[in-house]
Amino acid sequence: MTKKNYISAAICLAVSVAIMISTSINFLAAREVPMPKEGPSVVEVKMLSDWFDGLKDTNGDTPVYVLKGEKEGGSALVLGGTHANEPSGYMSAFTFIETAVVEAGTIYVIPYTNHSAMTHNDPGEGNLQYFTLQTKSGERTFRFGSRATNPIDQWPDPDVYVHYPSNQQLSGSETRNINRGYPGRADGNLTERMAYGVAELIRAENVGITFDLHEASPEYPVIHATVAHQDAMDIASEGCINLLLSGIEMSLEVSPTNFHGLTHRELGDYTDTMAILMETANASQGRLRGATTREQVLGGIDRFYVINEGLDMLYVPYDETGHPIEERCGRHLQGVYEYIAAYNNANPDDAILYSGVPGYAELFLNADPAALGGAHLGSFLM
Amino acid sequence: MIKKISALLLAGAMMLSLVACGSQGSGSASSDPAGSGAVAGLTEAFAEAPILVTSGGQSADYQMVGTLMGKVGMDYEIKNLATSADLGSAKTLIIVVGGSSKGLGAAGIDADGELARLEELINGAKSAGLSIIAMHTGGEARRGELSDKFITPIFVKADYAIVVSSGDEDGLMAGICSGAGIPMDSIGSISNVATVLPAAFK
Repeated sequence: MTKKNYISAAICLAVSVAIMISTSINFLAAREVPMPKEGPSVVEVKMLSDWFDGLKDTNGDTPVYVLKGEKEGGSALVLGGTHANEPSGYMSAFTFIETAVVEAGTIYVIPYTNHSAMTHNDPGEGNLQYFTLQTKSGERTFRFGSRATNPIDQWPDPDVYVHYPSNQQLSGSETRNINRGYPGRADGNLTERMAYGVAELIRAENVGITFDLHEASPEYPVIHATVAHQDAMDIASEGCINLLLSGIEMSLEVSPTNFHGLTHRELGDYTDTMAILMETANASQGRLRGATTREQVLGGIDRFYVINEGLDMLYVPYDETGHPIEERCGRHLQGVYEYIAAYNNANPDDAILYSGVPGYAELFLNADPAALGGAHLGSFLM
Repeated sequence: MIKKISALLLAGAMMLSLVACGSQGSGSASSDPAGSGAVAGLTEAFAEAPILVTSGGQSADYQMVGTLMGKVGMDYEIKNLATSADLGSAKTLIIVVGGSSKGLGAAGIDADGELARLEELINGAKSAGLSIIAMHTGGEARRGELSDKFITPIFVKADYAIVVSSGDEDGLMAGICSGAGIPMDSIGSISNVATVLPAAFK
């Protein structure tokens, strides 16, 4: 080998090592996910492994914020981050944890239901890794994760995912989707164990009502919608009507009995909780979108969706103002409030009472339009 | 020259025939499903309790209507898969129309089965002399191929209809009602059911 070749090889090696170090730092940093600050009613931050030790020391273990009132009452559970690429789900959970003043009962909030999914993203989608918001304490960084469990934690996917216990068959990639993994199993893969942990929490704490907060693409028919287990339909009907009365367009669907693995089906079947899932619209979930930018993720702004609105392709109205994160979180948080109010009417001895959480009006209707797209939401966070 | 005149005459004749086709269509009822748009609202109460509420398409809208009825103190029985055997002593049948694939799945029935159930139920109700109220409360979200399957067969048999206006922008339901002489009230939101529906009952 000539001296020239040695020099070339050394340069290539040095460049390779530099790239490896840089990407490794970025890769390892993704394992650190930002957590909510403890709001006025947080009495304890537990881990899901406290209810199911099969998650201990895994990336599927996740913090559970316990918000307790001074008076006795029922229990509710709010699941954010079931899909870690649906920010209004986990940002609603953050907002709830940091603002709620619970007067009666106990509210459990899991900001990252699939914690593992928050530790990576979908680079093939050109997705963001992070976004920042200006909050009361200054600039805070939030993650934008993936729909599915990190393959570092669970790999490989089978060709066909067979759901337990129904034996329903789905695409192999759904093996890592926690919202196809309920009710879970103690000796299953990591995603199934995470789902099992949630179900164990519900069973152990007699959680009366459970919310699962999502976003979906504007071309998906079940959008601006609530899906409820059949046992929760009376509560969901009353809550949905109150949402409509407060100016929030919301349709109500009953959970299909033949589609398995989802919270609104399996948590209703395998626990005593009233299982409710809410969907709001975000262009960054859709296939008709342009580049995934901060303006799209937080502002819900996408010019291609405006074009598709004109082509009558969408199930939600879409104009240049988009569907900002304040609208999406406002829908979720107002929904949680109205469905809990309906739950309280049906269960006066197990009432869950809280205040202080901004709803649809505070977050969206009454906001300065110039502050929508993240700035206004940030103003409520600690 | 003769060829040119013939060609002009032929072209003129073709244009006349096209115009004739157009003018014939514009006068037909089918191109104007809303008729003249002059669908009449309900002028006097006609319905009586007991009331049976069912779904037409298995969307959850029937449950929301039931909840609203409860809020205003109306007594009712509710059964999403009601058949004529469930009519009992009912004097009014309310069918809340809206197709939902999730709801059909939850009910364990397909669209054809749902249509057959509704036909049997409506025929039973008609034979027993019940009043039938058709409602479409889901707005634009409850329109489309699936929901539209249920609209015509139910609305044409109704004695009265209540429709959330955003679901009838194409005038389908107004057209059916005006064509069949069925009174129909348009409302802005499902929440208005709480005021409009009780007015239909004696």
